[in-house]
Amino acid sequence: MEKRRGQRSGLWGTAGRASVLGLHLVSGMLVGGALGYFLDKHLGTGPWLKLVFFILGLGAGARNIYLDLKLILREQEEDAGSEK
Amino acid sequence: MSAEGGLIHPLLLSEGLGLGEMTILGKEVEFGHVFYTWMALGILVILGLTVRGRLRLVPTGAQNVLETLIGGLEDFVVSNIGEAGRRFMPILCGIFLFILTMNFMGLVPGLDAATANLNTTAAMAVCVFLYYNMVGLRRWGPAYIKHFMGPMLPLAPLMFPLEIISHLARPLSLTLRLFGNIRGEELVLVIFFTMAPLFSTLPIYFLFGLAKGLQAFIFFMLTMIYLKGAIEHAH
Repeated sequence: MEKRRGQRSGLWGTAGRASVLGLHLVSGMLVGGALGYFLDKHLGTGPWLKLVFFILGLGAGARNIYLDLKLILREQEEDAGSEK
Repeated sequence: MSAEGGLIHPLLLSEGLGLGEMTILGKEVEFGHVFYTWMALGILVILGLTVRGRLRLVPTGAQNVLETLIGGLEDFVVSNIGEAGRRFMPILCGIFLFILTMNFMGLVPGLDAATANLNTTAAMAVCVFLYYNMVGLRRWGPAYIKHFMGPMLPLAPLMFPLEIISHLARPLSLTLRLFGNIRGEELVLVIFFTMAPLFSTLPIYFLFGLAKGLQAFIFFMLTMIYLKGAIEHAH
């Protein structure tokens, strides 16, 4: 019973973690773009901050994905370790 | 659901009670989803009180269901955060049950899912964002800033804005995911209902029941991961 419950929550956990990947990539860009847009609007610095923050947003999105993948991998390794 | 989606909900309790729209401080505001939020709160409070009034050593009925659910969630949290996670069980479990109730209310004819409104999900995501940052600040004090510095000190000027953006992106993605999924499901249900009532909507209830449960679980799980990140050592 205990084992079955563990497997089920593992499936749900992995399904959850996998399904958040897409939006995590995009939301970094959105926030970066929005920050740059508002800073440009208030500071009047032309298109430059927009560009810089958009690229930072890209980086943040990629970093989110990297962290998520690391989490999934670590979990898989733990699962493999507990089965032995 | 009002005209915002371009589709009229065929049957709504809030409209029947005259609570679909309200005038507050001279402004016409859409009130339906607030009404359903309160209804979900009411359902949970009444359920909790009735179960508490009839606690047994050998659980039966509703107590059994709730004990299984909350016990499973607690196991999940403890296996992820460790024993420190038990402190966060009230808010985590509250989030899960609240969202689950609101999501499933969307499947009941005559009711609408409160999470199909952007304001509901945004409010919850902002609460989660403030809460985990507060937990981190209380745990680490000023040293909480190390969580934003990245793994290496020379890289800190680059990592700092990156981390700020990725932290700000968290409430956004929480908001949009829950809202988008539930709203989409509500729209599909309304469209199917107008095309072929009952015949087309009943089979899809199974799929949407799973999806709504999964969305509630994802919100709960991400909150847990953020809390874990806040109380853990930086990197």
